Amino acid sequence: MVINRRYFLRRAWKACTAFLGGAAVWTSWEMLKARDVAAGGKITLGNPVDYKDGTATYVREGRLWVVNAGGHLRALSQKCPHLGCRVPFCDSSGRFECPCHGSVFNIGGEYIQGPTPRGMDGYALSVEGDALVVDTGSVITGPENSVQNFDSTAKGPSCAAGG
Amino acid sequence: MTELLPSEPDAEERDALQPAATPGPRSRRDRIRQGEAWRSVFRHPNLDTPRGRALQSFSNVFLHVYPVKVPARVLRMRYSFRLGFIATVLFSILVSTGVYLMFFYTPSVTSAYGDMQKLRTGVGFGQLMRNVHRWSAHLMVLVVVLHLIRVFYAGAYKRPRQFNWVLGMGLFAITLGFSFTGYLLPWDQLSYWAVTVGTNLVNYVPFIGTLLRDLLIGGEQIGQITLLRFYALHVAVLPVALCVLLMVHIWRVRKDGFAVHRGGVGAFAATDAPANATSSPEPVMALTKDHTRSRLLGVVDREVETAEERPVDDTVFTWPHMLVRHVVVALGTAAVVIALGVAFAAPLRGVANPDSTPEPAKAPWYFVGLQEMLSHFDPLVAGILLPAGVLLVLTFLPYIDRNPATEARNRKVAIVAFSIILIIAVVATVVGLAFRGPGWKFITPWNHSYIEM
Ligand code: HEM
Ligand code: FES
Repeated sequence: MVINRRYFLRRAWKACTAFLGGAAVWTSWEMLKARDVAAGGKITLGNPVDYKDGTATYVREGRLWVVNAGGHLRALSQKCPHLGCRVPFCDSSGRFECPCHGSVFNIGGEYIQGPTPRGMDGYALSVEGDALVVDTGSVITGPENSVQNFDSTAKGPSCAAGG
Repeated sequence: MTELLPSEPDAEERDALQPAATPGPRSRRDRIRQGEAWRSVFRHPNLDTPRGRALQSFSNVFLHVYPVKVPARVLRMRYSFRLGFIATVLFSILVSTGVYLMFFYTPSVTSAYGDMQKLRTGVGFGQLMRNVHRWSAHLMVLVVVLHLIRVFYAGAYKRPRQFNWVLGMGLFAITLGFSFTGYLLPWDQLSYWAVTVGTNLVNYVPFIGTLLRDLLIGGEQIGQITLLRFYALHVAVLPVALCVLLMVHIWRVRKDGFAVHRGGVGAFAATDAPANATSSPEPVMALTKDHTRSRLLGVVDREVETAEERPVDDTVFTWPHMLVRHVVVALGTAAVVIALGVAFAAPLRGVANPDSTPEPAKAPWYFVGLQEMLSHFDPLVAGILLPAGVLLVLTFLPYIDRNPATEARNRKVAIVAFSIILIIAVVATVVGLAFRGPGWKFITPWNHSYIEM
């Protein structure tokens, strides 16, 4: 095969353009890729016996809830698995009620109603010495909506106004 | 008649066309207008004849955007409701108020919210400019949507305008991008949570959802990186993209001729296709119309034309007929947004707080229909498949709907399908906007309104 000038130039400018395109994509990727890789860490939470049955305690530092669901301690992410709103705990009904689209979870973070695809995500909990420690680096994906290990009945009226 | 369209005269010829100075003492105004300086700026002869008007259009770069003459029907309100033009005017208003805001705004999570407060208390007309920017933004989204609906019902996306419809969909997407990125900038509770909900939608894209979301907001959570990113998109990337697309869009509107039914000239959709000429009932007329337009541009047409075939001339000069209307509509649009800005203040809630979601957390109004659908259906279906499907079909509509007819009675399927989607979208938006309260519970807006703008 003969590579004449015309053949060479026709290929060469395309190759240069492709190279430039590749460079642009790579540069854009470096420009746009996620930066604040959430540095998960351990948070010490104090004595486990302080968390009474049926209560949810907010831990601001980790943006999470520590709940005691019928004697089982859990650490639940405040972030709604549906679209990321912060899910508050409703003391009167004893459930988590998301203000955005009405997803409701029981105190163990399991699905009760609403558009959420799964229960609330959680974090690994452990006891070191006599202190409870949560590791926000290890996320436990929320349970499927069919899972029902905890009590889902409402203790009282829901917190969402209106109706 | 159309015989008056000359090619561009050279300078000498132009001077010869200049009306002789009126006898008697010349006023200062006349002296200025006949002086060299004035005539170096406005080169066309100041001649109020059809020939003079045509030359004015030819020699003015701004008027050159317009054709010299347009079919008289284009002037009627019912032709387009001026929606595309109003959208363009709103964009100009947004550019000027937006640049004003840039003088006072720093895209940083520690100062953005304070800048908004200072704008209200410490800057003359600052709050007004912000209000006008915000209401114009909402109006622009609304007007672009109405424009799209008008073009659909008129069937104006059909041959030869298929690609201009695609460009229009691009403009629509960029407009939404503007509004969404702008929404975050005040950095209050409304912005923070509306954008949180909006960007988390992307999570539901199969396989690459999380990656896309991270690219969009630069991490797990909305934060400084997101704010800076949205700001750069809002004031640099999107304006350039919109200007380029808009330029091509308008250029094509002008080149394709206006999509208007003209007396005795046949359906506008058939003008481009010589193939149609043999089959359509009014072949000669269709070609003749095209011919007329070519001559307007000073191009020699390949078709031969005889006197009998020439249709009645139904065109009028763009200047003054169309331009006067455009100036009036532009002033009217400006008056409306200024009045809105005086009457209603742009909202500013508490500073963004990741630890407290306001109730209810609503997306911006043009996404609230999506949010409403999300409360009923699986997020993959309601949040991704449905909107992406509708957008894709709409974008490529001219290549899917190959029916050449433009009259409603001959395109029932397309009209019914489009109308159903439209009604669902409107109902979902109205319900989500006005009839939803805390916990997304159904409420009646006349008792307690949670409408967020
Ligand atoms: C080149 C054009 C533009 C520039 C330079 C610009 C600039 C800005 C700036 C600096 C802000 C922050 C100040 C504030 O939040 O009030 C802002 C906000 C905003 N912009 Fe723009 N903008 C432009 C065009 C647009 C367009 C075309 C739209 C919509 C279609 C839009 C929608 C918004 C919205 C919704 C806000 C939030 C307004 C508020 O809360 O006050 N902007 N823009
Ligand atoms: S974000 Fe919680 S229900 Fe949608």
